[in-house]
Amino acid sequence: MLKETIIPESRDPAFRDMVLKTPVGEKIPTCMQCGICAGSCPVSHEMDHTPRQLVRMVQLGLKKEVLSSNTIWICTSCFSCSVRCPRGIHPTELMETLKPMAIAQGLENKESKFDTVFSGVVRKNGRASEFLLISKYGFMEPGIIKQLPFGISLFQKGKLPLSSYKMEDTKELDAIFKLGENSVEKEKEIKGDNKAEGKDAIGESKDTREETKNMGEETKATMEKAPQETENSDGGKKI
Amino acid sequence: MKYSYYPGCAQHGTAVDYRISVENVFRILGIELEEIKNWNCCGALHVPDRTVRVALSARTLASAKGLDIATPCNLCYSNLMRASTALADSALRTKVNDALTEKYNGNTRPKHLLEVIVKDFGLPKLAENVRKPLKIKAVPYYGCLLTRPENNFDSPENPKSLDSLISTLGAEPVTYYYKTKCCGGPALLTNEDMALGLAKDLFVMAKETGADCMVVTCPMCHLMLDGKQKAVESKYNIKIDLPVIYFTQLMGLAMGVDPKELGLSKHFVPADTLIAKIGGNNDRK
Repeated sequence: MLKETIIPESRDPAFRDMVLKTPVGEKIPTCMQCGICAGSCPVSHEMDHTPRQLVRMVQLGLKKEVLSSNTIWICTSCFSCSVRCPRGIHPTELMETLKPMAIAQGLENKESKFDTVFSGVVRKNGRASEFLLISKYGFMEPGIIKQLPFGISLFQKGKLPLSSYKMEDTKELDAIFKLGENSVEKEKEIKGDNKAEGKDAIGESKDTREETKNMGEETKATMEKAPQETENSDGGKKI
Repeated sequence: MKYSYYPGCAQHGTAVDYRISVENVFRILGIELEEIKNWNCCGALHVPDRTVRVALSARTLASAKGLDIATPCNLCYSNLMRASTALADSALRTKVNDALTEKYNGNTRPKHLLEVIVKDFGLPKLAENVRKPLKIKAVPYYGCLLTRPENNFDSPENPKSLDSLISTLGAEPVTYYYKTKCCGGPALLTNEDMALGLAKDLFVMAKETGADCMVVTCPMCHLMLDGKQKAVESKYNIKIDLPVIYFTQLMGLAMGVDPKELGLSKHFVPADTLIAKIGGNNDRK
C-alpha cells in the first residue's frame, strides 16, 4: 500500500474527541499498535485500512479517511479483535460507533442501504421478514437479483414465507426509534452539518475547522477524564 | 424448568427447521419455553444507532416476567447480553425506559438454548435421554456471537460446551481450529464473494477432520453453511457435501426422535447419509 505523509490539515481533533467520548472511546488513546486486531480479523484483507490502522487514524483525528474507509462496513462483527485486544479497546464496537457518524455525513453504500432497509422494516413491523428485506433491498441494490435462484429455493423449502411477519402491536417501536433520531439531529446541529452537501460532506467543511479551533482546550481535558465521559450513550451528543 | 422464550425472527422463516426441532426436543425434555407476547426484533447487526439497538433488547428483557430469557439465535443472544451489560449504566437505563411501556429493572438474565441444555438442564440428565448413541464424527461450530463479545457460560477463544454436548450424544467432536471463526453469514447479501470465501475456509478445514457433519447453534450460520454450500462448491470448484445440522436436531436424532419431526428434510445439503449412518428413526413415540 502506498504510504502517504499525514498533512496536519487533514487532522480534526474535534472528530477524535467525539469518538473518544463515546462508550468505546475510553481506551482508544492507549492503543500500542500491536496488531492483534488485524491479525485476528477474518476479513482484514478486504479492508482498505486494517482495524489497527483505523484505531491509529482515529487517534490522529483523520476524519475524512476514517469515515470514508470501507473498513467499518467490511467488518462482519465477529468480535474476535474485541475479546483479544490487550488494551481493552473494542475495535468491533468502534466500527459500530463510526457507522452512524459516517451516515450522518451523507455516506451511502450497499451495507448502509441494507441497514436502512432493515431498520425501516423493524420500525414498521417490529420483526424482520426475509422476503420483505430482500425485496425492499433489491429495489435499492438491483445487483442482488443474482440471489434470485437462492431466494426461490428458500421459498421451495418453506423458508421464505411471503406473508409479512409482524408484531401484534408496534406502537412502542416509534418511541424506541425516536431515541436514535434525537441523537443524530443533535449531532448535526452541533456540527452545523448540512445533509445537502451529500457525500462531499465527509471531511473538512469550513464549519468543522471552525469548531476544531474551539475544541482545542476541551481536547486535552477529554483525554484525561475519558472514563466518566464514556458512560454517555450517544456519539456526538455531549460536544 | 421454565423460561421466557424469545425465538427471534429467523424461526419464522429461514430457520423453520430449527424451530421444529426445538419444539419437539424441548417438549420431550420437559423444558417449558413460554413465548414472550408481542416480542420485537433485536435489530440483528443492522440497526446503526446504539441507543435504539439497546432499547430494542431492553424491551425484550423487560418482558421476561421474572424468568430467565432463552433464545435459540446467536445474534439475539449477543444483542440481549450486550444490552443487559450496557443497561447497568443507570443513565442509559432511564433514557431507554422512557421509551418503554414496561420498564426494565436490570435483572433479566439472557441464555442461549445451548446454555440452557448444558448448564441448566445438565449433560448427565441429557445422557439419560439418549436412546441411540450417535456413532459419528461431528464438527462443533460455535460461530462468533454465541461467545463473543460476552457470554455467561463458555470461553470466547476455545469454547467446549458444544463439544461436551456432542460427546454426551455418543458422537465424537473433532478438533476444529475454526470453531469460532466467522462463517460470512452477515455479509451474505451485501458482499457475497467475501462471504463465500469465509465459508470455504470453514468447509476445507471441516473436511480435513473427516467429520460426518457440522453442528451449529445459529440460524445465520446455518443459512450460510447449508444454504450457500452449493454456491461455495461451484465458485471454488470443490466437493464439500457436508450436512450442517442444528445442535437440537443432533439431540433429537440421539434421543430417537423421528427425523421428520426435526425439520431435517428442509436442509439444502441432504442429511440422508447421516441419518442412515446413525441407523434410522422413530424409536420414540
